[in-house]
Amino acid sequence: MTRIARKTVGVLVFAVAACAQNPLSTPQDVEVGRRLFQTHCSYCHGSSGEGGRGPDLTTGQYRLGGSPEQLYRTIRYGIPGSEMPAVRASDDDVWRMAAFVGKIGSAGLDEKARGDASAGKVVYETKGKCAVCHSIGKDGGTLGPELTDIGRRRGIGYLEESLVKPEADVPVNSRAIRVATRSGQTIVGIRLNEDDLSIQVRDTNDSLRSFLKANIKEIRRDQPSLMPAYGSVLSGKELADLVAYLSSLRGVQ
Amino acid sequence: MRVNRSFPALTLAVMTLYGQNPPVTYERLKNADKEPGNWLMYSSNYNSWRFSRLDRINTQNVSRLHVKWLFQARQEEKFETTPLVVDGIMYLTRPENEIHALDAETGRVMWIYRHRNPPRTYNCCGKVNRGLAILGNRLFMNTLDMHVVAVDAKSGRELWKTKMYDYTAAGGYAATGAPLALKDRVIVGMAGGERGVSGFLDAYDAATGKRLWRFNTIPQPGEPNFGTWAGDSWKTGGASTWNNGAYDPELNLVYWGTSNPWPDYNGDFRAGDNLYSCSVIALDGDTGTLKWHYQFTPHDLHDWDATQIPILLDGEFRGQRRKLMAWANRNGFYYLLDRATGEFLLAKNFVKQTWMKEFDDKGRPEVIPGNEPTPEGNDQVWPGVDGGANWMSHSYSPLTKLLYVFAREERRVFTKDAIRHPTTAAEESDRPAGRPFFNRRAPRFAPEESWGKVMAIDPPTGTTKWEHKVVSPPWGGVMATAGGLVFGGTFEGVVFALDAQTGRRLWHFAGNDKVYSTPISYLAGGKQFVSLPVGDVLITFGLD
Ligand code: HEC
Ligand code: HEC
Repeated sequence: MTRIARKTVGVLVFAVAACAQNPLSTPQDVEVGRRLFQTHCSYCHGSSGEGGRGPDLTTGQYRLGGSPEQLYRTIRYGIPGSEMPAVRASDDDVWRMAAFVGKIGSAGLDEKARGDASAGKVVYETKGKCAVCHSIGKDGGTLGPELTDIGRRRGIGYLEESLVKPEADVPVNSRAIRVATRSGQTIVGIRLNEDDLSIQVRDTNDSLRSFLKANIKEIRRDQPSLMPAYGSVLSGKELADLVAYLSSLRGVQ
Repeated sequence: MRVNRSFPALTLAVMTLYGQNPPVTYERLKNADKEPGNWLMYSSNYNSWRFSRLDRINTQNVSRLHVKWLFQARQEEKFETTPLVVDGIMYLTRPENEIHALDAETGRVMWIYRHRNPPRTYNCCGKVNRGLAILGNRLFMNTLDMHVVAVDAKSGRELWKTKMYDYTAAGGYAATGAPLALKDRVIVGMAGGERGVSGFLDAYDAATGKRLWRFNTIPQPGEPNFGTWAGDSWKTGGASTWNNGAYDPELNLVYWGTSNPWPDYNGDFRAGDNLYSCSVIALDGDTGTLKWHYQFTPHDLHDWDATQIPILLDGEFRGQRRKLMAWANRNGFYYLLDRATGEFLLAKNFVKQTWMKEFDDKGRPEVIPGNEPTPEGNDQVWPGVDGGANWMSHSYSPLTKLLYVFAREERRVFTKDAIRHPTTAAEESDRPAGRPFFNRRAPRFAPEESWGKVMAIDPPTGTTKWEHKVVSPPWGGVMATAGGLVFGGTFEGVVFALDAQTGRRLWHFAGNDKVYSTPISYLAGGKQFVSLPVGDVLITFGLD
């Protein structure tokens, strides 16, 4: 009974939401949303949504979806099975908070890069060899984060830094580790999962590997980022063009 | 099967009123240790030892332990229940507020009781429920919409349902903890410390549901300690009572921990100690009057609830035999108190801590400056917001005389929030407008900056005998057994049995989902079982 009922509600919300933009997303709404966020959310997500007890909301990547309706639903109802509570506020105010969260998660949207995006695309595909590790849409490697909507999620400054000083900010789920097994193998890669019994890794050949801890001699977590620094590889113009190209990647919406 | 096994042969003359299910009297509850095959209350006994006297599963044979049956809850909420087991029947709560009665040997369900909550209830941390109490033939459960219900243990029929409080008042009240039954009554707590409520602890008549007493955890005008809250802040001060407590029948004292003061991370408008938040209170079981209190964290700013479960033990302290209370607190300190008087005996940190300089004779901490939450976020404070310990149960073994704590070592951020009552949130924030929020770099905590550890602590001294480290800070507790084992489950779902003497892991099972509860052990069909919720499945292990 309960399951059926819940499904029906889900379908209804979806039907309403499918055609809905955020009805309250003017700059004034975003500002009210920011204030409401300070009251209801900052103690878990940080005063600017940068994370704390709850996750970082500025990355623009949401497990439960980042469309206005999906953000509305997450905030309105909370996330079952987690610390994330349903908020006590009017529906209008929930839309305003969703507008604020949408704003901080799309830092790149309001920015315009100086370089030449089409020249940057060439650098990406040739000299940079970026596709070895990154994918745009369906094409490319999986060692680094998907870049399909990187221009929406990240601002210009962040993108520049990613290319020149990648280690400045490495997302937790992209950190490099080095596993040394008892049988003498050494594997470098990205940690996908871990418990007290085993660890799962995507290695630098883009292969999925799993190791029982009983067979591991050492796990080093102090490894440099697997993203190469391009400051000395690419010219200033190439870097600027590449940033313009990345900034133009706004996702398939 | 068990229910109507030999019915045709049964004559009315031998059919007693209770058959195989004699009532769980107060005498039985007081002597719960004499029934090791049953799990008669949330924390196993009034001392909250969570110690199983069963030893059929032991250090010699635990490597053979394997899954016997599953209870598939099929729901998304955190599964925080501790089941009760009474004479072969297991009673557990499934979110939201359902009671299931199962055959404890096979996991087959016998009846289900459902309390229906309104669609929106107000919980800080999930629509959870931690379990039941039983007295006579009655089961008691607290509900998210602030009722206490009594249900017939045989039929699942509702006997009474009493409203504790308006669940929509202030920022919202809820009740998630298990009740504690004693004498002729049930003691129940409430939640809402994150929502500007005003805390209390209640006692209800087990037979009728009539309220027998209410203790307000925030002193009301005219009561002692009223002045420990600036201005009107006492009205919304939190100090809820959301977990379970302990009871000393000889002293007739109920011990209960209280939550943080509200607002959690901003003390500007609630200057003072904020009694009785972050405290243990000792109340007369008959009248609910306060006998003593001890405040672990005066004027808390870190959400360090003192809602851990009091552990009662008798022993020597500095050459003198005493009635003691051991307490591993969310603020990172292990405490030993005299539970007859509330006297502070000692405190020692069991996880990394940065906030406490020294305790005076009365146990009042002198705080180190620089640990306050800031608007930008302070990430230099240990323990983290979820504490060195939280609500998950600890365990005491009278055989090893050690206290087992599944502790959290954690680095997190404390952000000072704007002060607004949850219901009046639309008011202007006093925070300066236009702070830059784009592209601010998030604090990134590496996984290895936080971890969990099962610890064995010597109660009279607070010294650690051994530690067993695990990958993540846990959300589950531990149970020690007479088989020389300590059972628990990690945040990744590794269910383990450790050697109670050394901390060495002797057995494990990859449950692969989060553990939000503490194991129990019991007998059914003459065999010992160990049960623990992993993800939304209650897994029951046995030997043969
Ligand atoms: C008590 C702490 C807490 C509070 C208060 C809180 N959150 Fe959360 N929030 C969390 C946690 C923890 C998660 C992650 C849950 C998960 O993914 O399991 C989360 C997740 C989210 C997500 C989803 C992220 C994703 O990946 O889909 C959004 C959006 C969000 N919160 C917004 C808000 C907003 C807006 C508020 C204020 C109205 C708020 N939260 C209040 C703890 C909190
Ligand atoms: C050898 C593999 C590899 C190559 C080649 C590579 N990257 Fe990366 N990249 C990574 C990894 C791993 C990360 C994540 C760790 C980090 O942020 O330092 C990353 C991160 C990034 C980020 C930040 C993503 C985010 O979500 O914050 C950007 C942008 C990026 N790379 C762009 C590029 C571009 C453009 C190129 C080509 C010029 C390139 N990368 C080449 C592996 C690679």
